[in-house]
Amino acid sequence: MFAVTIVASSYAADFGKHEMVHFWLAFPAGTVIKPTVLRGPGPPIALTPLTIDLDQRGVLKNLLNPSIEAISTHWIYNYGKKPVRIGLELVNCTFPVIWEVGANFPYDPETRTFMQPLMPGQSIPNLGIDWIFKIPPSLMYSPVIYDGGLVIFDADTGETLTFLPIKIVRGSGVSSGGANCCG
Amino acid sequence: MWLKPNSTLVLNRWRYLSFIAGFFLFVAPFAFLVRATLFALGKIQEPTLHVFCYRMPIDWIFGGRYSSLIASSVSTGFIVVILASAFLFGPLFCGWLCPVGSISESASRVIPIPSKYRIWIKDTQITSGLRYGFLVGFIAIAVLVGYKLAASDLSSICCRYCTSSVLQNLSSGIFGNFLAIEYWHTGAIIVLISWLLIGGVFMQGGRGWCLFFCPLGALSNVVHKVGARLGLYRIEHSASKCASCNSCSSVCPTWAIKDDKTIERSLCIACKECVNVCPNGCYSYQKGFKK
Repeated sequence: MFAVTIVASSYAADFGKHEMVHFWLAFPAGTVIKPTVLRGPGPPIALTPLTIDLDQRGVLKNLLNPSIEAISTHWIYNYGKKPVRIGLELVNCTFPVIWEVGANFPYDPETRTFMQPLMPGQSIPNLGIDWIFKIPPSLMYSPVIYDGGLVIFDADTGETLTFLPIKIVRGSGVSSGGANCCG
Repeated sequence: MWLKPNSTLVLNRWRYLSFIAGFFLFVAPFAFLVRATLFALGKIQEPTLHVFCYRMPIDWIFGGRYSSLIASSVSTGFIVVILASAFLFGPLFCGWLCPVGSISESASRVIPIPSKYRIWIKDTQITSGLRYGFLVGFIAIAVLVGYKLAASDLSSICCRYCTSSVLQNLSSGIFGNFLAIEYWHTGAIIVLISWLLIGGVFMQGGRGWCLFFCPLGALSNVVHKVGARLGLYRIEHSASKCASCNSCSSVCPTWAIKDDKTIERSLCIACKECVNVCPNGCYSYQKGFKK
């Protein structure tokens, strides 16, 4: 069972780069055009543009549940110098995306904004946000299924604080930007 | 191993009622205990089975992520309570309340597969070896990932193979939130197959997942073993009355009855099925030192 456990862990590390990819978020970071480490009052935060190659997912996923993919975060940090009430927006998506948001922090699903300001150095407690992409059959075999990104904006002024590019592709052979989900 | 309404069901009625209570206490949309805990602590998280994580605090302890233990104090507190109760009273949570184990065990008991098609390791040493082989692997991964010794080659196996998540999603789906069962990643599919199908329906007793993939269950039995040696609550066997009829072995969901009919404490979940089935009253749940 020791060997089985290690193999299971290795396999999870492999498919975890292409399925339900977890990533860290912090603001203000501007547009994240390349892997960046943001240093501030909390732990160093690696921000990386996400690319997810659907062809690299696990066999069972591709066989049984191929047309739905998801990304997730448990970590949004304020690395700025002032308290900010933030909102989130997924841009340039032409097909349905379900937002599943849970946090020990007040959130308004209508406007996709958090209702209280996040203090400098603070992260949203017990956060779990899943974005579930329901890929239509017409796009399922396109080389580029989604090319957009996630915006963190100041909910009071509308100013963009961080833009994280996200791509869902087929056949590129690489995925990038994943993090260990059990933080 | 199947439920016999006139005997098994009646004899173990409190335990099976406890299974139902466990579901309502921990699993959303009900999750009454989770709701009460969050309310008492003034937290506004969504009350689901996830709030009490069975695995991550153990991963954090061995991976040196102590700040996470504090940040997720509800899960940490839950693990402490479960281990303390296992030490004092035996692994009662595993045997009586855990919704993950109770559902797979129930599946095993109600789905009529002939026993010859079910996996059953009768040697308790082999079962224990496999169980603690998993636990050692789990701890090794926690150390290697937590201290970034192999963080790119290995992944913590808490969330990627999460039975709580699969059970919670199934429950949400059954009770009307169909979105919850739309997305399945590879790990969740593997969990569903190995927890309910292989570990549940096709393993004698239906506790395959608990035996071979649950770190909390394995740790609970470690502390139970220590507690039993100190004379705390455990199931005890009296050889003088035993007729070696094997009815105890056939009902034990965790294969914890040894050849000489004594209890292997690293496997026993204090379910009392053996106590209830034994026609000669050889088993008792007791404390104090054996005379």
